Amino acid sequence: MKLTLNWLKKFVDLRDAPEKLAETLTMAGLEVESLAPARAPDGSEDWIFELGVTPNRGDCLGVIGIAREVAALKAGRLNPPARKSPAQKSSTPSPVKVEIQSPRSCRRYSAQAVEAIELGPSPEWLRFRLEAAGIRAINNVVDITNYVMVETGQPLHAFDLDRLAAKRIVVRQAKDTATFETLDVIERRLAPDDLLICDGDVPVALAGIMGGRNSEVHSGTRAVLLESAHFDPATIRRAAKRLGLHSEASHRFERGVDPDGTVAALERALALLGEVAGGRPLGGVIDRYPRPAEPAAIALRQERVAELIGIEIKPAEIEKSFKALGCKVQAGKTAFKITPPSYRSDLTREADLVEELARLHGYDKIPSTLPRARLGGKPDARLRAERGIRSYLVGEGLVEAIHLPFTSAELNQRFPGLLAGRKPVPVLNPLVQESAEMRLSLVPGLLEDLKVNLAQRAEGFAAFALNKVFFLDGENNPTERQHLAALLYGRRSRLGLRAEEAPFGFLDAKGLVEGILERGGAEWGWSAANPPPFLHPGRAARLEAAGANLGYIGELHPGVAEELSLPRCLVLELDFEKLLQYLSPKLTVRSLPRFPSVERDLAMIVDENFPAQRIIDWIKDLRNALIEDVEVFDQYRGASIPEGKKSLAYSISYRADDRTLTDAEVQALHGELVARLGETFGAQLRG
Amino acid sequence: MNESLDRLQEEIAERLGRSSSEAEIEQLRVEYLGRKGMVTGLLRGLKDIAPEERPQRGEELNRLRGFIEERIDACLQSLKADKRVKALAEERIDITLPGSRRERGRVHPLTLVMDEIIDVFHGMGFEIARGPDIEDDYHNFEALNMPKDHPARDMQDTFFVGAERLLRTHTSPVQIRVMESRKPPLQIIVPGAVYRHDDDATHSPMFHQVEGFMVDRGIAFTDLKGVLTHLLRQIFSAESRVRFRPSFFPFTEPSAEVDIGCVICDGKGALRDSQPCRVCKGTGWLEILGSGMIDPQVFRFVGYDPEKFSGFAFGMGVERIAMLKYGVEDIRLFFQNDLRFLRQFPSF
Repeated sequence: MKLTLNWLKKFVDLRDAPEKLAETLTMAGLEVESLAPARAPDGSEDWIFELGVTPNRGDCLGVIGIAREVAALKAGRLNPPARKSPAQKSSTPSPVKVEIQSPRSCRRYSAQAVEAIELGPSPEWLRFRLEAAGIRAINNVVDITNYVMVETGQPLHAFDLDRLAAKRIVVRQAKDTATFETLDVIERRLAPDDLLICDGDVPVALAGIMGGRNSEVHSGTRAVLLESAHFDPATIRRAAKRLGLHSEASHRFERGVDPDGTVAALERALALLGEVAGGRPLGGVIDRYPRPAEPAAIALRQERVAELIGIEIKPAEIEKSFKALGCKVQAGKTAFKITPPSYRSDLTREADLVEELARLHGYDKIPSTLPRARLGGKPDARLRAERGIRSYLVGEGLVEAIHLPFTSAELNQRFPGLLAGRKPVPVLNPLVQESAEMRLSLVPGLLEDLKVNLAQRAEGFAAFALNKVFFLDGENNPTERQHLAALLYGRRSRLGLRAEEAPFGFLDAKGLVEGILERGGAEWGWSAANPPPFLHPGRAARLEAAGANLGYIGELHPGVAEELSLPRCLVLELDFEKLLQYLSPKLTVRSLPRFPSVERDLAMIVDENFPAQRIIDWIKDLRNALIEDVEVFDQYRGASIPEGKKSLAYSISYRADDRTLTDAEVQALHGELVARLGETFGAQLRG
Repeated sequence: MNESLDRLQEEIAERLGRSSSEAEIEQLRVEYLGRKGMVTGLLRGLKDIAPEERPQRGEELNRLRGFIEERIDACLQSLKADKRVKALAEERIDITLPGSRRERGRVHPLTLVMDEIIDVFHGMGFEIARGPDIEDDYHNFEALNMPKDHPARDMQDTFFVGAERLLRTHTSPVQIRVMESRKPPLQIIVPGAVYRHDDDATHSPMFHQVEGFMVDRGIAFTDLKGVLTHLLRQIFSAESRVRFRPSFFPFTEPSAEVDIGCVICDGKGALRDSQPCRVCKGTGWLEILGSGMIDPQVFRFVGYDPEKFSGFAFGMGVERIAMLKYGVEDIRLFFQNDLRFLRQFPSF
């Protein structure tokens, strides 16, 4: 809502300078968003105020409403606009009849015919104020309807009277009227309960939103019918929203217009038309108001005021505040009966009154207290886990990435997350077509980050994301799960003198996950079977626990990388929620061994595709109490190894709980192990 | 003392002084004190001199031997010390070279801010609640006193993902979900992502909020002021000016917008060159959170008796706080994950 200071001054004698007034209004909930000096056409100084009017304060979408507010805030004295006395009303009947067929959507319809109009441009002062209010000047008739709307908050519409053939205004639902051409020359598709203003059977306006082209004021207009009505906010909003047609009028009707203000606005417009455009009333005011608003009294308990605001407000202040707001106040022993004025449709409940009271008292004058301590808070397990994972990954050199959760159908098909065939959640009104679905996987976001950073010539990029993915379950209900994903590309970033670091490989990605699994809790397993199709089939694995699929790691499929113009890199994605279920919450410390262990190494030459883990599993399955641990520590291919073979080196740690193993004992144990391995795997043993 | 012995002593002292290696010194030791050494020879010759002269001569020779031994040890010591000094000098390194380490990663700045807010509330005994990003109309709007045709819905342009399914426009639906399933007293915060159909330098279609609410008997507006003032002074600075001004949210009444003194111009509204501050648009204040006493209508939706219970609720934008705290000018930087941006934040 924009207005000029001098316009406001017509209705209120201001106490303060413009800056001070702006501060007062802001602190009372009418936020002054901008304040700029201006010069009126007559050379006088003026100011343009821009106010952020909250949706509950339709009454402040007019200069007079703001003047009332200024007065209530004790920042000036109100000069209410003078009203013509009813006796001066014309006795000749109006040439137009009005019939309201939808009283629910149209509470009141007032109209006035005006003749002898000399259509032309508006005087400069009027154009200046209108334009300061952000409304384009068109011609004196249209400008006056707009001027009165900004002044009173009551939207007006002018029909060319000569183009209303039937001279019978009917307010009705659109029903089977399918389309209507508004004055912006657009054919509007109607819904059955849109509200129409008709001339007889012919629709002439989309009620409260925009007039029709067929009855528009034009250069030959000599007589008009001024409409000043009260329409139901929800009806107007539904139609305006559906048609994407937001007008100054609909904005006000949606927020509630004073039902008792229609006639005063007509009178004001009539006076201005006479002054500016030579218009004369043709007949009297028509006013259909089948069920006038009955202002209801609201009880306000003093006790409730103290409970909600936290301080006592004296009865005298309560009474004064509500009187200043134009309410009728009836004081009782412990409660008041407050009857708000017709223009404050937002005041219907005790809570609304408490807010008004706090507002007028001044939020800054209400003290601050801290509520009494309430014990029983508890640490949040999920938060702890998330912080722990973040801190671990940051220590490993990964940066945390946060992405918008939207993606394209193509990327969702390419990266379906943990399970192929998950149905994505569509976004019905995406900002752009590339973001028409909710992501199934966090990986595309990380790949996009890689692109961004490669464009900045990053030599390596290691990042993780801990966030939600979305999919439809079997019953098509949207489901959300927290995933953990990471991407490793290039070399690890080192600070200091340049030193060679090996580029990230599959084992780095695996190690990253193993660092999490170290917490224990379940039998974790890696499986090379059925790798996701977007991964390199020979460099991918799935993580499983108790038969459940927890996620995957692997190298991006070279073909996919090529298609997306990306370099080869490693990705992993885990179902973080499931992972948490399996991670052990408990930890028991073993006592330290009392006797030393003895390490022995062995190396085996095996086929190229022999999995190293098989030897470890086999040794562990022996369940030999003296074998404490087995590790693979080297994999070698080269000169001394035949083609198609590789050498795997293992370190075996022997230990007894109750004594120091002798060399001879270990020799015997190891010798037997080596022999059995040879038999079992037909492997050639080295070293 | 015998003159010749004196000369010998001088000669030895002089030769030791000239020697510059352990080998040379050892050579002198042999020459004088060895089995065939000069001093050893003189000592052996004692038996050939007159018995009455023997004690004195013996004493003199022993003193000479002591002197030589002492000198040799001293020379060896000093030589060793010289060597150590030299070695230390040679081992000197350039301490101005850069330290060497694997570069640590970074927690995202939005996580940093979110954690900070969470910690302040944890300190006050609030617990965390979470809710779905995909909400239904009832929890996101209806139960928050925003019926279908309410103009307040314009304040929150919505993404739809199905019939009656939408991306939550605020974290407030979690208020409803918690109150539906639990009874007061409640003191809860809700961190999470929210979505608005909007995209420019200060609006992102997804951003983050921390919502909070407290419900019990006898919670008043003064409590709202106290808790939020405490929060903002923890997040910004203990001296932050905080102001509350009336506003409108359909789910609170009274409602308050909370501002802090502008962190860029220090609340003056103008910069040092007297240009108006762009961040607070010259007002000296920054809008930082929305709040209010929970509307009785909301309590009715969740089956609480508004005559018995009262409470306040508030919500703040995490990106906005991060932008102000760290001077980030474009919200989109938070979602590009450019290392040059992320690495400006501390790694722990």
